[in-house]
Amino acid sequence: MSDALRRPFPERAGAALQDTFLQEALRIATTKFIDLRKESFAGFPQGEALRDRAREIKEATLQHLDVHLERLADNIERVGGHVHWATTAEEAREMVLRLCRDRGVRMAVKSKSMATEEIDLNEALEHAGVTPVETDLGEYIIQLAHEKPSHIIAPAIHKTKGQVAELFSRELKGSFEADPEILTAVARKALREKFLQADMGITGANFAVADTGTVVLVTNEGNGRMVTSLPRIHVALMGVEKVIPSMTDLVVFLAILARSATGQKLSTYTTLVRGPRRAGELEGPEELHLILLDNGRSRQIASTLREALYCLRCGACLNVCPVYRQIGGHAYGYTYPGPIGILLTAMLKGNESVRELAHASSLCGACKDVCPVRIDIPRMLVELREHLDREKIAPWTERVMFRALRRLLLSPTAYRLSTTVGRWVQRPFIQHGRLRGLPLVLGKWTRTRDLPPVAARTFRERWKELS
Amino acid sequence: MITCLGDMLFPEVGVAMVRLLRRLGVQVEFPPGQTCCGMPLFNSGYHHDAALVAARTVRLFEGAEHVVVPSGSCAWMVRTEYPGLLKHDPALRAAADSLARRTRELSQFIVEVLGVTTIGSPFRGKVTYHDSCHLLRGLGESASPRALLRGVSGVELVELPGADECCGFGGSFSVRLPEVSSSILDKKLANVEVTGARCLVACDAGCLMQMGGGLSRRGSAVKAVHLAQVLAGEVEG
Amino acid sequence: MTGRAEFIERIRREVSKTPGLFGASSAPRPADPATAAETVRRELAERWPEALERFRVEFERVAGVFHRVPDLAAVPAALGAIAREYDATSLVTWDPAVLGFDAAPALTRGGIEVVAARAGAEDEAARLRHREQAARARVGVTGADFVLAETGTLILLSGSGRPRSTSLLPDVHVAVFGRDRLLETLEQVGIMLEALHVDPDRAMSGATINFITGPSRTADIELTLTRGVHGPKEVHAVFVEAP
Repeated sequence: MSDALRRPFPERAGAALQDTFLQEALRIATTKFIDLRKESFAGFPQGEALRDRAREIKEATLQHLDVHLERLADNIERVGGHVHWATTAEEAREMVLRLCRDRGVRMAVKSKSMATEEIDLNEALEHAGVTPVETDLGEYIIQLAHEKPSHIIAPAIHKTKGQVAELFSRELKGSFEADPEILTAVARKALREKFLQADMGITGANFAVADTGTVVLVTNEGNGRMVTSLPRIHVALMGVEKVIPSMTDLVVFLAILARSATGQKLSTYTTLVRGPRRAGELEGPEELHLILLDNGRSRQIASTLREALYCLRCGACLNVCPVYRQIGGHAYGYTYPGPIGILLTAMLKGNESVRELAHASSLCGACKDVCPVRIDIPRMLVELREHLDREKIAPWTERVMFRALRRLLLSPTAYRLSTTVGRWVQRPFIQHGRLRGLPLVLGKWTRTRDLPPVAARTFRERWKELS
Repeated sequence: MITCLGDMLFPEVGVAMVRLLRRLGVQVEFPPGQTCCGMPLFNSGYHHDAALVAARTVRLFEGAEHVVVPSGSCAWMVRTEYPGLLKHDPALRAAADSLARRTRELSQFIVEVLGVTTIGSPFRGKVTYHDSCHLLRGLGESASPRALLRGVSGVELVELPGADECCGFGGSFSVRLPEVSSSILDKKLANVEVTGARCLVACDAGCLMQMGGGLSRRGSAVKAVHLAQVLAGEVEG
Repeated sequence: MTGRAEFIERIRREVSKTPGLFGASSAPRPADPATAAETVRRELAERWPEALERFRVEFERVAGVFHRVPDLAAVPAALGAIAREYDATSLVTWDPAVLGFDAAPALTRGGIEVVAARAGAEDEAARLRHREQAARARVGVTGADFVLAETGTLILLSGSGRPRSTSLLPDVHVAVFGRDRLLETLEQVGIMLEALHVDPDRAMSGATINFITGPSRTADIELTLTRGVHGPKEVHAVFVEAP
């Protein structure tokens, strides 16, 4: 359990709301990402059809996931790569650690990978005496600061350049100005050495093409290329849902992924890796290992959260989510933040873990609108809430309350009676024709907002004179 | 269809809608047995309970040629969720499909079914319009309310920055995470103040409750009003 | 540890519950990729000037620097000018046999050392030497196997005599290409990649394919766009007019 999870979610969210710097950073970042995305799709009329097609590909692939995974594995082995099958996070960690032990690995450079975050790989490596070095600039910053990413594609958006300068000065022994250009150059120099020294490169995978046995990495910084070119061993860890059938499919996804994430037409680097280095190649790893991770995913193939398996991890749903925009990524408390993060957390950690998070959405639907593969996140959140009721994970008080509400709504007599009772009960709380300072649940409303009182005459009472 | 919040908290909206529709030559009926569309139950995951409410509502409106709702979220609930909730009973499912086809949110009904966009209303003043999430993204409607507002000669419509962003209501969300809900609302209301409008118009009882409650608590001069009230000329700008 | 059979069996069990649940349709891919690729090439043989112009615009939009030279003989002078711009006294290149030109004679006369990768020299010593040279060089010169107009992207296949790091480790990357490399759309890239993988000679030549769209960049500190975080800070494209 991470530190953040020791406090209940509403408290974590409340703390985030009090953090004025975080508020400002979130506002700037999410607004910028929203504008960039909007602009990029506005100049790309075929984008909508490509989104439909991308969704169809994901759907069709999942329907034959076993076949595609076997084909992927066969093709990777054909070009000299190794494939490992990890049912749980623990198995995946153990596989990496065993490789490190067997091959005498002392240092591993990593390109940004949510899957390795998901299995807490860094902690496991450190524990085993292997130094993991994050090389995505944002991930590097938060690794030095011993923090967690707060956004899927911009992990350090919660940090100021001043904080980064302080951090670098302390950790890299120097005195660096709070200038992004200078700080980036500092990181370049420090990390270049690591790339050249590391024994192992660890990556995730944005896609894996079954037809050809190709692992695909998308980055802007080029660290994905470094990590897969310089160390002698390359380990890629990916969720099973990342497999796609063909190169024809790949270009469909490439056309919408960067546009959704950063508004770029393509990210700077798309790297297609097909096995370890070939005879005749001067560079590239001697060994390539692909770890296929299940960790709760397969359970959802034919179940409620199926669509969450389409997710490309572009982060677009975070940027538009009114809740994420207020509280940022850390308050969610798990690897994957934002609306899609709630679903992924339920998938990976079980429904119990999202008892509160499942309600961290106003169901406004903005996420579904921007999702490149049109994942119906609000619908799945509502279905998830249904599971919480059915599995009795929702608090019993809540369940009793909603059952009572149902009875009220099914009986016009009870309903009418409730308006009468409401009128009587509300009397002490009316100020200037508005309700304030209500008790219990409604107090949560009236702390910041007024409420109109139950009308002296409801519509149904006035209907008689209207007719 | 006048659902719970409209009935109890905003009866003037329903009254304005009835007067407006009659002026447009529509014969209006109100089945008195109705209560709520069931969305609060549905959104919190109580689908079995929501289905019971839906079944009741479907029967109540069987005789109506058109069903008009002054709330985008209730219209969305009826149109997109009722058929799914009642899928296990073929007869009810058919009735739900039929109701879904006959149900329109008020502005959609006026523009699409009645084919009217110009309504003579004595209303005068500067207004801004907030897109309710369920009307905008659920029912894909953003043009009709704006067209109707522009059709009132005394109305000056100013676009609200971030009009399509949620107001933070979200039903039980607003009391489950009141601080987050209020923080979203603060940003919405800051945008409203920027427009200089005297009236903030919306087509959803939930949003009006949230935004109106926030405006009133701030002591703002801006009033949150329903589109029907502007069109019926029952508020002053 | 889970074995493959057990792992796949679990997935198969879940997958077997889906038929009828979801409408699924696979993406249509070219039945005969080689022929489809040939068709694309024929179309582009006519349309290359439009494609080139589109590439230039998009490439410059992602901060690329575009050059145009009349023929291969003019390439060394263009490379020399670029090298001098960055005060580079040496540059690393792909194998001249792969590039189709040898810049060494002309550049060496001008005082710039040219270190070319050689196909066939891949023992451990050559490896170390190469890495050290690439890490030190300020400028790296490569070809481009496909040049995508729609996004301003250079696509490079690794292989014998075409190291990956030439376009990665130096501060400046220069790619030299002719009209026959131009493609207009990502969809055409898809066709080319399909064709490449059914052609056994080419498919096995190198392990990576890199799409490069402008210089290495990041916006991880306060969303300030900064170039050259790990890879090149500058990317140049030199177009050779003569077919």
